[in-house]
Amino acid sequence: MSDLNAQAKEKYHNNFLKEVAANVEEGDWVKMCMQCGVCSGSCPFGPHWAHPPQEIFMMIRAGKREEVLTSDSMWMCTSCYNCIVRCPRKLPITHIMHGLANYAHRLGLAPKNQPTRQFAKLFWNNIVKTGRVNELKLSLGLYFKDGLASGIKTGMAMKNVGLGLMKAKRLNPMEILGGHGCKDIKGIQAMVKKAQEIEAKRKGFTAA
Amino acid sequence: MTEVVATNQTILVVGGGISGMTAALEAAECGKDVVLLEKNPALGGRVSQLYRYFPKLCHPTCGLEINLRRLKGSRRIRTLTMAEVTSISGQKGDYTVNVKIKPRFVNENCTACGECAKAVTAEVPDAFNYNLGKVKAAYIPSAMAYPQRYVLDPSIMGTPEADKAKAACKYGAVDLDMKEETIQIKAGAVVWATGWQPYDAAKIQPYGYDRFSNVITSVEFERLADPHGPTGGKILRPGDGKEAKNVAFIQCAGSRDENHLRHCSRICCMASLKQTNYVTEKFGDDGKSTIYYIDIRAIDRFEDFYQKVQANPNVKFVKSKVAKIVQDEKSGNPVLHGVDTEGYNRYATEHDLVVLAVGMAPSVPAGMIPTEIVADSSGFIQLDEANGGLFGAGCATNALDVNRAVQSATASALRAIQVVNQVARAEA
Amino acid sequence: MADQKIAAYICQGCGLGDRLDTKALAQIAKTDGKAHLIREHEFLCNADGVATIQKDIDEGVTHIAIAACSRRAKTEAFYFPTVAMSRANLREGVIWIRPEGDEHQETTQEMAQDYVRMACAEAKKLIQPTGNPTAERNTTVLVVGGGITGMTAALEASKTGYQVVLVEKSGQLGGWAGKLWKRVPFKEPFANPADTGVEAMAAAIQADKNIKLYLNATIAKTDGAPGRFNIDIATESGSVTQEHVGAIVQASGFTLYDIAKLPELGGGVNPHVVDQAGLEALAKAANGGAIKRADGSVVNSVVFVQCAGQRDDSGKHLSYCSGTCCNTSIKQAMYFKDQNPDVDTIVIFDDLRTPGNGEDFYRSAQKKGVTFTKGKVAGVTASGNGCKVTFNDLILGDENTTIDADLVVLATGQVPNSGVNIDPSKLEAETEAAAEVKQISILNLNYRQGPDVPQLKQGFVDSHFICFPYESRRTGIYPAGPVRRPMDIAQAMEDATGATMKAVQAIENAAVGRAAHPRSGDLSFPSFRAEGCTQCKRCTVECPFGAIDEDEKRYPVFNEARCRRCGTCMGACPVRVISFENYSVDSVGSQIKAVDIPDEFQEKPRILILACENDAYPALDMAGMNHNEYSAYVRIIPVRCLGSVNLIWVTDALNSGYDGVMMMGCKHGDNYQCHFVKGSEIASIRLSKVDETLKSLNLETERVQNYEVAITDIERVPQLINDYAAKIQEIGLSPFKF
Repeated sequence: MSDLNAQAKEKYHNNFLKEVAANVEEGDWVKMCMQCGVCSGSCPFGPHWAHPPQEIFMMIRAGKREEVLTSDSMWMCTSCYNCIVRCPRKLPITHIMHGLANYAHRLGLAPKNQPTRQFAKLFWNNIVKTGRVNELKLSLGLYFKDGLASGIKTGMAMKNVGLGLMKAKRLNPMEILGGHGCKDIKGIQAMVKKAQEIEAKRKGFTAA
Repeated sequence: MTEVVATNQTILVVGGGISGMTAALEAAECGKDVVLLEKNPALGGRVSQLYRYFPKLCHPTCGLEINLRRLKGSRRIRTLTMAEVTSISGQKGDYTVNVKIKPRFVNENCTACGECAKAVTAEVPDAFNYNLGKVKAAYIPSAMAYPQRYVLDPSIMGTPEADKAKAACKYGAVDLDMKEETIQIKAGAVVWATGWQPYDAAKIQPYGYDRFSNVITSVEFERLADPHGPTGGKILRPGDGKEAKNVAFIQCAGSRDENHLRHCSRICCMASLKQTNYVTEKFGDDGKSTIYYIDIRAIDRFEDFYQKVQANPNVKFVKSKVAKIVQDEKSGNPVLHGVDTEGYNRYATEHDLVVLAVGMAPSVPAGMIPTEIVADSSGFIQLDEANGGLFGAGCATNALDVNRAVQSATASALRAIQVVNQVARAEA
Repeated sequence: MADQKIAAYICQGCGLGDRLDTKALAQIAKTDGKAHLIREHEFLCNADGVATIQKDIDEGVTHIAIAACSRRAKTEAFYFPTVAMSRANLREGVIWIRPEGDEHQETTQEMAQDYVRMACAEAKKLIQPTGNPTAERNTTVLVVGGGITGMTAALEASKTGYQVVLVEKSGQLGGWAGKLWKRVPFKEPFANPADTGVEAMAAAIQADKNIKLYLNATIAKTDGAPGRFNIDIATESGSVTQEHVGAIVQASGFTLYDIAKLPELGGGVNPHVVDQAGLEALAKAANGGAIKRADGSVVNSVVFVQCAGQRDDSGKHLSYCSGTCCNTSIKQAMYFKDQNPDVDTIVIFDDLRTPGNGEDFYRSAQKKGVTFTKGKVAGVTASGNGCKVTFNDLILGDENTTIDADLVVLATGQVPNSGVNIDPSKLEAETEAAAEVKQISILNLNYRQGPDVPQLKQGFVDSHFICFPYESRRTGIYPAGPVRRPMDIAQAMEDATGATMKAVQAIENAAVGRAAHPRSGDLSFPSFRAEGCTQCKRCTVECPFGAIDEDEKRYPVFNEARCRRCGTCMGACPVRVISFENYSVDSVGSQIKAVDIPDEFQEKPRILILACENDAYPALDMAGMNHNEYSAYVRIIPVRCLGSVNLIWVTDALNSGYDGVMMMGCKHGDNYQCHFVKGSEIASIRLSKVDETLKSLNLETERVQNYEVAITDIERVPQLINDYAAKIQEIGLSPFKF
């Protein structure tokens, strides 16, 4: 991964705007921002961002590569699309945020313990295994992501919810044993493989 | 039937705002015959609805007075009000234009004595004041109205109210039998000076113009400040009539925005800077203004004006496009949410009143002009040979301030004269 | 006048008949007004009333006094161009501003009676002017300057059917635009730099038979007036040719602010720091190829510094924004990007100012990869073989950001080539910064007041600027282009066309002796009695339009085609020898004297109001329309401008027993609202000296007051009047009653 990062740095001579345009999904829109700030103001998660979208755009232009790619800001995006709707320059801001997050992840620069990133990984690994989401395993995986003690603590706190779900037959404790898969797991896996192949050819996914 | 003498050496000017009046006057004072059309019942256009001009803070009615006096003194201009062009045919040097004239229900006998308005009790929204107030259904559009003649609102036709107006007029000026008519006018050249309209603020949903009574537009704010306006010049907010001492101005309300108007409307920064003066004028140090902006476009000689406003401690500038407005239920105050991009301060600021500096859209977008015309993507008329003897003037050609609109109108008068002079030479 | 036949018409309509004793008014017109014919009419402005007046005129009436509504109302009906006419304002000026009721009847009626007396007195003193019989029509327009503005003016004038003399000081046409590689686009899609079009225009001028071109030539002398200007054109060879023209378009353009004054930005000290003109030269030399610096190396990175030496509040540089430089820098950045997208182009701006469709141009530049950074540049220093730009990044909040660049372009501003500042009191710090380019006169006017068109601020020529941008202070001379206001090519072309319109109009006005704006169409002009003149020069000095020269014996020489008929000269004249046929010391003075002054025992004060007809009088009128009440003791006389007020009116009024005089004029100063530019200012200077006179007469200084009144003062003016009436009650009646 860090190879990729070194290659990218080498290739773009620290012209980060060009690097983003070439490698990030919708990244060539970054140059179109006019710094009005409506995206930052429109973001419901705004207060939780270290660098709101428009600042990220300006940082990209200013060549602040490390700061942007290691930032957890773009991981905050919940895809509400407020920013896209309001942007006077029609920048696909949501997509750019995800694109940046993805690029940072691929270069190995994304913050390791960023919860959104961890959840995404868990979710992905969970779903490709059987073709379905195993909710029990996903939940437990999340509870225990920070270790045994905090996992037990969170589990206890959520006990009543879990029991309720069981009563309502919305949660089967037996799923812990592996759970049931979809009918054609092979087909699903073939689809995922194909999708990965397609994606690999897309912008930013080929080696820099 | 309205009689108009016009030939292919006549210049037809469409629109009786400052641009149209300027074009008509400049041409007429050069010895040309002009027919001047205005859609509204009185001349003056949108500038006559402004309280003050930037940068001199003088009053638009002052210039209007001079222009009206020039007009009254000129026998070369035939003015038709409540008139709209429905079709244009022919070519440069030989146009035939159909004009629809709406009934005024008051003829030239009117002395503007006001007896009809006293007699009538029905009220209609006051268009001159952007419907912020009401007027009697027999009304004179404004104190500066020319022609200085009353109008009966069509809504009272066939009601006893109309009869009351007729009975009150001792001079036989009320004519309830007036009908809409269409007349045909010949012209050698046409100056299209239909001006601008404020962009529909309700379309900017996050600002809630259609939901919050204390969010108004910049043109409405002009009426609040004007002694001839609905509040007699007091800045009272529409929601509850409370004095609005803490006013927010939101720039680029519609302009510079691919979702709304693609162009920069040029005047709005200066208009808001000017309007901060109104707040100071009315409330002194108790009046506070905040301007939310992307770039302050106080272009060329207007820069001093900006510097003067910056020196006013009661005016704050926030570089930010406001993201949304919510209304505080209890106080009725609008609360502005956004991010100050200089330093990234997130704000949720409460104001008494929000003024949206709405953008300029052409009143008649080029596509709605009843003939082929070369225009830009915003619907403003461009100067192009293909337009023949039809010339845009003022804000029909671009988002312009008054000074530039008058320049444009003066230039268009010359272009029209060039056409009719050519006709005259050909016929000599 | 022996054959003067005066008719007075008393209207009874609009409530006049109900509120006033019109019989008594008719009687007054006869006894006091000495009218030969008096008619009352129940509805004077209707077809019958108008026909009655016309019939009387046809039968020999020469002067009419119409006692009805305001002179601003019913102007179509009361249009009798063949006779002299006065209007007594009984409606807006009397019954609409006075309350009904018996207790007010007497004073209201007195007011009306005085207005009838005044109208009759005025009518008698008026002569309906017929124009100047010596007026000339010269259909040639002189265009000074062969840049884009001047070329446009020349071509447009020719297209309108007029001849042109075009004078350019350099050896070729094109001016600043001729030095550009490309221009900012002016048509959809506003995305790319466009050809300047200068060559085609220059060729069209060379081919135009109506245009006579002088290159390497300047104006050595401008003499005369609209319709009859004599122009001495000096050519480089030393010869002087004279041309006769009817009007002038001054398109003398601008000079770029000198970057040597910006050493902190590397101007004049670093060879790799250029101004926008410098970059155009490099782009022209590159001719579409890679742009190279002076040292021949290809530019791979360039920084544009906006507002260099502009928007400066320290007084060191230009205080204004030139309005064009943002678009120019965008265009210049595109020169690089269009040739090689890998060139780094950064524009550092404070406010990016791309109005109108400039927004499309801005977007286009971003699309091409031009980077825009909001910041304030602190300095440009040499760094290796290039430059280091240090700036405060206002978005990222980094005060000491640096960028290295091969080339730095400073966007300096436009300094108008407006010639000599003839009003030294206007020399401000900011204009001093650019003073040297303005020491050379452009027009060399042989005018009493100086060789160039007066300036207002920052070296730009004076005009009303908002409603009437072409109303320069020298009739028939129309500055156009960046000499009026910083502007780009598109605006300059539009401006040139407008200025040409005014020049053509000035020619047509001069041909019949008609006044230009704001008293358009007025055929009168000032004349003076030489036998009374003391050669004091006040008229020649005070004329806001420089219309009056002096002959060798120092008598005033009135140039009627330069005159705007404001009457400032008439107001200035201490011996009252200047007058217009339709406006004179006498026509106003006799109105003042016509008012019936009650004796001191009646305790009815009389207050004279001299109100500017452009703003104060309409404000009073609209106060009337609003039925805003004011004192019945005032008598209002509209004047053309407070500048036309001769102090004799004030002394006459006080001497004849008026208790006070209110003067109402327009705001003056830099943001003046006076339509005659200087009239109200001059009036206030004159009035500042009245106090002495009052004291010598043993009168209170409050008896003469000066007010700045705006046309919107419909509430304030009645208040001012009532306050003043109360003040007069307080200080007591004038001791000069008989």
